[in-house]
Amino acid sequence: MSDEGVSLKTLSPRALAWQRRGRAAAAAWREFSSSKSGLVGLGVLVLAVLLALLAPVLSNEDGLDVTKATGGRMRPPDGNFWLGTDVDGRSILLLTWWGTRVSLLIGISAALLSVVIGTVIGIIAAHYGRWVSAVLLRIVDFFLVLPSLVLAIALSTVLEPGIGTIIVAIGLTSWPSAARLVRAQTLTVEARPYIERSRALGGGNLHIIVKHVLPAVLPLVFVNATLAVGNAIVAESTLAFLGLGDPFQTSWGGILHNATVDSAALAGAWWYLLPPGVAIGVVVLAFTLCGRALETVLNPRLREPR
Amino acid sequence: MTSTSSTTTPLLELRGLTVRYGGRSGLLAVDGVDLSLRAGETLGLAGESGCGKSTLAMSVLRLLPKSAQIEGEILLDGEDITQMSFGRLRTVRWASASVVFQGAMHALNPVKRIGEQIAEPIRLHGTVPAGHVKSRVRELLEQVELPVARADAYPHELSGGQKQRVMIAMALACEPRLVIADEPTTALDVIVQAQVLALLSRLVADHGIGLIMISHDLSVLGATCARLAVMYAGKLVEEGPSRQVIGEPKHEHTKALAAAFPTIGDPSSRYAPATSSELGLPGAPEPVAEGVEPLLRTDNLRVTFTGRGQTTEAVKGVDLEVYPGEIVALVGQSGSGKTTLARTILGLQKPTSGQVLFEGKALPHSARALRAYRRKVQLVLQDPTSALNPRHTVYEAIAEGLRIHKLPGDERELVAQALEAAELRPPERFMTVLPHELSGGQRQRVVIAGALALAPTLLVADEPVASLDASVRGEILALLLRLRASLGLAALVITHDLGLAWNIADRVAVMYKGELVEVGTVAEVLRDPKHEYTKQLLAALPDGTALPAGEVTA
Amino acid sequence: MPSPRRGGGTARYLLTKLGGAVISLFMVVVLGFILFRVMPGDPVKTMTRGHPVTNEQLAILEHRYGLDKPKIAQFWDYLVKLLHGDFGDSYQYSRPVGDMILEKLWPTVLLVGTGTILAVALGLWLGTRAAWQRNSVFDKASTGIALAFWSMPTFWLGMILLTAAGGLFPSGGMVYPDTPPDFLSQALDILHHLVLPVITLVAVVYAQYQLVMRSSLLEEMDADYLTTARAKGLRDDLVRRRHAVPNALLPTVTLVFLHLGMVVAGAITVEAVFSWPGLGQMTYNAIGVPDLPVLQGTFIVLAAAVLVMNLIADVLYRFLDPRVRAV
Repeated sequence: MSDEGVSLKTLSPRALAWQRRGRAAAAAWREFSSSKSGLVGLGVLVLAVLLALLAPVLSNEDGLDVTKATGGRMRPPDGNFWLGTDVDGRSILLLTWWGTRVSLLIGISAALLSVVIGTVIGIIAAHYGRWVSAVLLRIVDFFLVLPSLVLAIALSTVLEPGIGTIIVAIGLTSWPSAARLVRAQTLTVEARPYIERSRALGGGNLHIIVKHVLPAVLPLVFVNATLAVGNAIVAESTLAFLGLGDPFQTSWGGILHNATVDSAALAGAWWYLLPPGVAIGVVVLAFTLCGRALETVLNPRLREPR
Repeated sequence: MTSTSSTTTPLLELRGLTVRYGGRSGLLAVDGVDLSLRAGETLGLAGESGCGKSTLAMSVLRLLPKSAQIEGEILLDGEDITQMSFGRLRTVRWASASVVFQGAMHALNPVKRIGEQIAEPIRLHGTVPAGHVKSRVRELLEQVELPVARADAYPHELSGGQKQRVMIAMALACEPRLVIADEPTTALDVIVQAQVLALLSRLVADHGIGLIMISHDLSVLGATCARLAVMYAGKLVEEGPSRQVIGEPKHEHTKALAAAFPTIGDPSSRYAPATSSELGLPGAPEPVAEGVEPLLRTDNLRVTFTGRGQTTEAVKGVDLEVYPGEIVALVGQSGSGKTTLARTILGLQKPTSGQVLFEGKALPHSARALRAYRRKVQLVLQDPTSALNPRHTVYEAIAEGLRIHKLPGDERELVAQALEAAELRPPERFMTVLPHELSGGQRQRVVIAGALALAPTLLVADEPVASLDASVRGEILALLLRLRASLGLAALVITHDLGLAWNIADRVAVMYKGELVEVGTVAEVLRDPKHEYTKQLLAALPDGTALPAGEVTA
Repeated sequence: MPSPRRGGGTARYLLTKLGGAVISLFMVVVLGFILFRVMPGDPVKTMTRGHPVTNEQLAILEHRYGLDKPKIAQFWDYLVKLLHGDFGDSYQYSRPVGDMILEKLWPTVLLVGTGTILAVALGLWLGTRAAWQRNSVFDKASTGIALAFWSMPTFWLGMILLTAAGGLFPSGGMVYPDTPPDFLSQALDILHHLVLPVITLVAVVYAQYQLVMRSSLLEEMDADYLTTARAKGLRDDLVRRRHAVPNALLPTVTLVFLHLGMVVAGAITVEAVFSWPGLGQMTYNAIGVPDLPVLQGTFIVLAAAVLVMNLIADVLYRFLDPRVRAV
């Protein structure tokens, strides 16, 4: 019990609610920061985002232009080109750096799209019972088992190539797992007696969803979104590798696509393959580690016994 | 069976047993307990949740989690358990002492047939030759009065009582000399509980087994055990013959435990929670005047559920009345339809036929009118811990109803009044607190305050004290009685506990398989039951909690 | 509590599941039509994207593929043909797509099957060990490694393996053309070709099985029935093997089948990298054209295969978990 009752007279109910949220956030941060791997992941992500944002300030975009490339053809790393050059003589370092922008943009947007779709469908399927739920569940189960990459390939083949298409293709194919998760969580929350109490107090559907279900589901959604970004980045690189990316933008998958077209693997040009792949691995791992640490904050059962 | 040990060595002896969780400075769960049990003796261990009674029981077979540190001696047949090698400990487990666990639902492996689970320790300890294991399992099932064919069943296919019988058969499998029963009947209905207790007592007596039984319910222990020990905050506070401990409790805590299970028929325990409290009962309850319109009436109410091709009639034509300012207890066992009836009264469940009338008017169907109705009829749920959103402060929990109904007036003022009415004082101290920072009793008061904030005329309380500890139970019941006296609040209290009805209700309605089998004043129904089922319920109460009809004149 | 009637329940359960699967299959067929016939707006334009064509050529193409009819009529044609196993003709090779799929089916089955079995075995074994030795060096290291592999794009790992170990193993294909036609030589050669693709597939896929097995075992660790088992005097390893693992295995089994779609996705890129002559490589080759009938055919076949596997999983699960059997 706290002694904040004294200050109560000066605080409005809204301010009280925000104070409570602030305390909850601080507690969550304390729990998160006790996870070493989570902190490392967060650090990597902050760095990646900064690099992506600062690329136009710190480097020269001209280096991406094939016609203005200054390096030799597929040259190994040297003093000028720390990570070597691609088939057109562009710096692999510069390409990988700029690739961060597109890969993060697509990864985050696609993950958001999929999580938003999943949350809406998940809550509706759980809250409204009977046939609404039955129909939605049928659809969710269908998309859940459908090989999502095959569907994404199909979508990005028939739509105009571009960043928007890739975001839509990934977002539209990866939402079912979020929907399942949100549905399960909503069902657990709605089985709690405080929902019954809220109904008995006179609360309607909207009141229950907004005041009780959403606040309980959102942290889970946030965790899911964090993990989904990693998956989306891998999916983006896969689509780009298959030649379905935006040919006018530099992404990590796109570099690897070029490397395949130029037979870099057979030519032994490891500097062409390693940097973009390592970048994908590190950023995806960082998102995964962050997501897992957040999961532990939410679910005390996963915590290590002290 | 004859006892093989000498009469001088006790079967089990605890000397200065101390159990602590999480290091030296950690939580002290058991604090210097001395206790002894001779072969064939029965001992009841009573106490509220968290008093350390289960920790003590689990320490006997060293089944505590790794974080627990044990000090002192645990002598089983003179041999110290705490010093045993792991191999020796494994041979002692189940063969010398076995356990009937709390909640048989979870204590049985869900994916193994029960026959296999009973046979497992027999094979492991070589109790009988390998060829005879099957017949031994059959014999055990017969002993616990289960059909032998049930050996092929999985746990989920058995009822709660049957599962507990399986646990007992399992405990007896290796012919142990000591059985520890940890809340063996807590989740069971009164009638099933009586059967299981009788079975356990009989088997223990037949085989000369020593029994330690753990429960929060003094009457259950009194019915089964010769001696009683009461624990409080890790310490043993009282020990003696059962009759003496229950009849003349000495320690403050034992008194509270004993009071929680009133003797039905004893006039001194009528309205006891309020009359024995120092706050007292402001004005004795007045009998309902003749000719007053009932506040709430159900008219031939029926609720039928259909699912998976089956129809279940949960409520079969119920006529029930609640008058203004009256407390009615709706008594029934789980599955009797009493909760469905309550939900229908609150408009949370649509009746299949019949209707609910409030103040003479039928329950409305439109969402808006239903909301207005719900202002007047409020719900108090069984478990206050889950009835409050863990993310909302007490202030928000109480203001929720005010905000839904957009009640006029200063919100903070109204919240403070509600807290005051629920005797949470001073109100300011509680407003910013989250539910998990409160005790169980305080949480239930918050739930009640949330209901009171809307100034209802009827409170529907579903097992309002079932999840609370004995000492808190009285406080909450007293609060309900005082609210009735000061605000004229009527209440429909749903319970499985006849003692609770005797404690606070004016009238009782007994529900059985969806029907009201008996309705009348508390004195009529509980002292002179007419219906066969009511008689069974009263007969199933552990000895000493119901006086035979007519023995006492009120 | 009414005792469950097992016989009637099982038949009903199977019928429900079968009905669901049939609806799902129909949805796949509809989706295949929408994706490749409706969404492109003009398949012929997509087909000829980047090629100079005259309007007459377009009209001829449209007529040849039946694209000048109304959509409903097109759907009916498509449905009738599908039921006869006719997936249309490839734009690229002018051959029936059905025949092409049949040819490429078994290499994919070999790759996905071997990969799944190895990944599941590895994942379950590591997950079980990690859960027992919670917070040990083994637990932390194996979980870390699994997560690292899981974070890598499958195709990239394949390319790196190809660069690093290219000398030891064939760089692509399934058999050398000059291998003697006898069974043993052929089998050994296929095995030789299979090593790198399978390692790649397993490395990326096994992590999820390990993590799921680990967490579901940890969930079971606190279960009361394990205390019962320990109280009975069972050794710790017996408590785990007899009581904990069978319970923890159940959720994992469902996941194995649920994630089959992801293995298939991994296989597509692995086949592309290692030129493994299966459905994935066929898809890869069709993307650039784009050869819509081939993409449509592989989409329908792969989706249907995963759906059927999940139907099998549902049935299997019913016999594994007595609790589901009673419902």
